[in-house]
Amino acid sequence: MSTLTAKTASEMNQGMLLALLGLLVVSLVVISLFIGSNPIPVFQALQESLDDTPTVLSMILTEVRLPRALIAAFAGATLGLCGAVMQGLLRNPLASPGLVGSSSGAAFGAVAVLYFGLGTTFWAALPLGGMLGALGATLLVYLLAGRDASIVTLILAGVAINSLALALISLLLNLAPSPYAVREIVLWMLGSVASHSMNEFWIMLPGVLLGSLLVTGNGRALNALTLGEDTARSMGINIVRLRWQLFLAVALAVGSAVSITGAIGFVGLVIPHLLRPLVGYMPGRLLPVSALGGAAMLLMADIAIRLFPAGTEIKVGVLTALVGAPFFLYLILKTRRAQL
Amino acid sequence: MMLSRSILILLLALFSANTLGAKKPMRVVSTNLCTDQLLLMLAEPGQIASVSHLAVEPESSYMAEQAKRYPLNHAEVEELLTLKPDLIVAGAFTKKATVNLLRELGYRVEVFPLTSNIAEIKRNVEHMAQLLEQRAKGDELVQEMEKRISTVQAEVPNRALPSLFYQPRGYTSGRNTLHDEALILTGWRNVASEHGVNGYGVIDLESVLLAEPVQFFTSDYGQGSDSLAQRQLQHPALRLITGGKPMVNVGFRYWICGGPMIADAIEQLAEIRNR
Repeated sequence: MSTLTAKTASEMNQGMLLALLGLLVVSLVVISLFIGSNPIPVFQALQESLDDTPTVLSMILTEVRLPRALIAAFAGATLGLCGAVMQGLLRNPLASPGLVGSSSGAAFGAVAVLYFGLGTTFWAALPLGGMLGALGATLLVYLLAGRDASIVTLILAGVAINSLALALISLLLNLAPSPYAVREIVLWMLGSVASHSMNEFWIMLPGVLLGSLLVTGNGRALNALTLGEDTARSMGINIVRLRWQLFLAVALAVGSAVSITGAIGFVGLVIPHLLRPLVGYMPGRLLPVSALGGAAMLLMADIAIRLFPAGTEIKVGVLTALVGAPFFLYLILKTRRAQL
Repeated sequence: MMLSRSILILLLALFSANTLGAKKPMRVVSTNLCTDQLLLMLAEPGQIASVSHLAVEPESSYMAEQAKRYPLNHAEVEELLTLKPDLIVAGAFTKKATVNLLRELGYRVEVFPLTSNIAEIKRNVEHMAQLLEQRAKGDELVQEMEKRISTVQAEVPNRALPSLFYQPRGYTSGRNTLHDEALILTGWRNVASEHGVNGYGVIDLESVLLAEPVQFFTSDYGQGSDSLAQRQLQHPALRLITGGKPMVNVGFRYWICGGPMIADAIEQLAEIRNR
């Protein structure tokens, strides 16, 4: 594979890049712990949380702020990673969980489970619903668009499935027995990492880890895929198995994350693009880098909305969309120019 | 010209006062849950022509059982007219257009204000009793409510403990709410008021924890259903801060409308304080 790794100008040493991004994510998690509605002495809280009896300060740190930071980090990592996986697998620069329908499918699955009483009977019901929804929506888009779909076809199929999922979510929330359900449409469509507890983090974690594990080791296959399916096949790569494995991985990770946070958009689209030049346009090397980048982006967005001087907190998905949508338009213009 | 018009208006007013005001209303229609309940408490059975469809919902209506005997309405002008009412009682949330139209058509409409304290509850009870010509019954109801409240008040400990009404999605009741008055009467401090919440508003979880409430109350009206809003009440920190004490549900029907049933809620709050 050494012929493929001719260094480009902006390319960085992979280990160095991972270390830097890792450091960024850790710092952002720590910063996130310092931000809340009330200023609290965080170091004292940390000390107190090591004691056996919980104090108010330790509770705020470990039961309110920590789950928020961890959920933002892991959900962001999931979206970044899955964006990189999809762009590599479909060889389409606009593929991402948000655009291909995985996220809204996952939200639909989670809504179907949560509001109709299955979420309380069995803890894994919620992420399982999300996974099934994500898998269903992704496969539907893939089948609609066809195997070697053009960028436009894939996006259009994604738009159709996204709209369908949105309509079904609205319908379910209107039919839900809970009187509070209808007002939660926004939460599912835009996504939020606020007011969760460690319970939700533990619910989300297994699927995210399992999905990431399934992706690991497929970097080389994704690199080979950049040369076309036939070449990849001649290099001994089982494309059908690869495709299924990665679709499943995306469903597991995105399904679990979205069932807790709602469909947070654009992280999976923006991050792989921003980081691709730094890894010499190698889809395989992009995977871990995108995961860290996604975590950093969502943590930053979540910190920003908490610092934003609004009466009530805006949803984190609002900010990622405000940043992501112009970026999306820029990508469309760029691909159009490339086609001319 | 002006004079004759004002005389005409005066005559009309006198005429309507004579024909409608002096006579005991015998076909009273209520279009609002709050007036439904007062009507059901104060009227003789023969006086009620119809109550609103919400009056039979046991979660929100204190008088659900009694309401079942009467035809229900949905506050639509057409259906109200077919009921041939001689008095229509409506609430502050009844559509302005409906009230205006009914008045233009010559019906007598009385609009009851919302209540945010016990004094206003008394005023509404007395107002309804007066309209129905049931003053004695009204006085009796008010006196009983006051007696129950003062009995409870005498029993609760002097030292007030911090507490909070915490509703799905983090909603709470601050100053100028029935909840606030009821808490303070029963030996509790209202953390929400102290935090600066006025009326009904949101309080964030960190501020709740910092105030260290010893007891949470809630009036969840979606019992048995699930939503993200309701899941917020399950946050483990809420249990930790009160030392594992479960949140106490004080029925939604005591608060949604101000009425003498506030005494039930106050007794419940006091009982928990006395434990």
